[in-house]
Amino acid sequence: MTGKPSRRQLFGYAGAAAAGAAVTAAAAVALDDGQAAPPSASRTISPYGAHQAGVAAASPKFGELVAFRLLTETDKAALGRLLRLWSADVVALSNGRGAPGDVAPELAVGNAGFTATVGFGGRVFELAGPRPGGFDELPGMRHDRLQKEWTGGDLLVQVGADDAVSVVHAVRQFVRDARPFAAPVWRQSGFWNGTGADGQPVTGRNLFGQVDGTGNPRVGTPEFDATVWDADGGTTLVVRRIRMNLETWDELTRSEQERAVGRKLSTGAPLTGVNEHDELDLEARDADGRPLIAANAHARLSHHSENDGRRIFRKGLNYVHDAGTARESGLIFLSYQADVAGQFLPLLARLDAVDALNEWTTTIGSAVFAIPPGFRPGGWIGEKLIG
Amino acid sequence: MKLLAATVAVALPVLLSACGSAEKPVAQANQISTPGVLVADAWVRATVGAKDTTMTAAFLSLTNPGSTDLKLTSATSPVAGLVELHEMAMKDGKMVMQQKAGGVTVPAGSHTHLSPGGDHIMLMKLKSPLKPGDELPLTLKFSDNTTHDLTVPVKAFAEEEEHYHPTPTPK
Repeated sequence: MTGKPSRRQLFGYAGAAAAGAAVTAAAAVALDDGQAAPPSASRTISPYGAHQAGVAAASPKFGELVAFRLLTETDKAALGRLLRLWSADVVALSNGRGAPGDVAPELAVGNAGFTATVGFGGRVFELAGPRPGGFDELPGMRHDRLQKEWTGGDLLVQVGADDAVSVVHAVRQFVRDARPFAAPVWRQSGFWNGTGADGQPVTGRNLFGQVDGTGNPRVGTPEFDATVWDADGGTTLVVRRIRMNLETWDELTRSEQERAVGRKLSTGAPLTGVNEHDELDLEARDADGRPLIAANAHARLSHHSENDGRRIFRKGLNYVHDAGTARESGLIFLSYQADVAGQFLPLLARLDAVDALNEWTTTIGSAVFAIPPGFRPGGWIGEKLIG
Repeated sequence: MKLLAATVAVALPVLLSACGSAEKPVAQANQISTPGVLVADAWVRATVGAKDTTMTAAFLSLTNPGSTDLKLTSATSPVAGLVELHEMAMKDGKMVMQQKAGGVTVPAGSHTHLSPGGDHIMLMKLKSPLKPGDELPLTLKFSDNTTHDLTVPVKAFAEEEEHYHPTPTPK
């Protein structure tokens, strides 16, 4: 099986480096003694770093989350073995290679913006040590109609890529490798379009048609870091499966739909603004003295100025779930924050109490995971806690 | 020459990112003239349920970022009484497994994959059966006198069993 790979095979993963194109060219000269191929834009995301790469990465086109229950015989040492082999899978799959022992390695393709993120439920900390300060379960909410098949879990693997085949293939390997240690309790898959018609990144829309995620802190800013990362470089993830009643939503006029959110459907701009990222004017009133952004509008209630400055980092995946000809539509709501109780829970409680959107949405699944920090070559995910 | 060293120094992190779990990357990065072989994606086939649970195979990928061909010359593991480097070869029209004379070459600037149906590391005289989810230590020795101490996961794999079963090793 010794073969001379093409330069592309050998150096095709270089794009994640800061100066990817330049590095590739230099390396090709050094090792191949030939002309460097013209560098192509790489969508490979390095799995290594202070944080797990999937958290801050742009929303993937396709995503799947799998929650696992630890088998009763899985102790702390066994959990370490699982995390070491999952980490090796993450490295290989992120670089477009089959996982070690992959039964269908040809389904792993590079350049697909692949990420895989591992999370820990409460049971892990019963086995392995104290919970991170920011990790907490959520109490039941008044509007919740939680179903067991979408709720809880001891471990999470969240896979994303711009290619659905890569996602499904990777999940198959993670589940297969987990078999001696843990069994799936739920799986949720969904899709998101974060690219506009001109190829530029956009916020993306949920299935109500709303631009969804405008208020997020921008990746790479101090505000983002303070919102998302704990002192170790980890974070927490809240997963809420939110069923949307499209039939009754569709009965509303567009202005009724816009009033419920407080933003325009066309651009996502606040009803008081012109462009998507215009700041909300929460004081503005119409001729009759009513607030332009209603008191129970989603955008007002979730705005950080109305929540003592508390922020979260929101992502989402749209989902459809078919049973015969009946289709359920919804949103896999994903929220990252350093501190669940300090940042997310007050916001959730406020929205649960009065959000206008509650009339058309029902949360049917809920889970919280601690997302441990990232890892470096030779290391593994969760090493600090389990190692 | 100075330029060449610089470009190799740049190339190394690229290969590290390509091949993932390299052992001791920092130490290797200091040896610019002979960077040594990088090891990734190692795994061992489980023996539980197999007819013969005393032998199995280890598979992995080797990358040589240097300018000289290197060889994997031997491997050892405390779980196995005997470890050999094997290849699959055609003999009298039949595919047989045999010891790989002189070791497994990793060409300069290239990869070598040890994989099911091809070259592999044969673990024999196993002291106990290997279950999926186990880990075992494996030490690789290379022709540049470097060694790599690996911790290798045991995984289930539905490979045709006869590949790794007593076709007696030709002497």
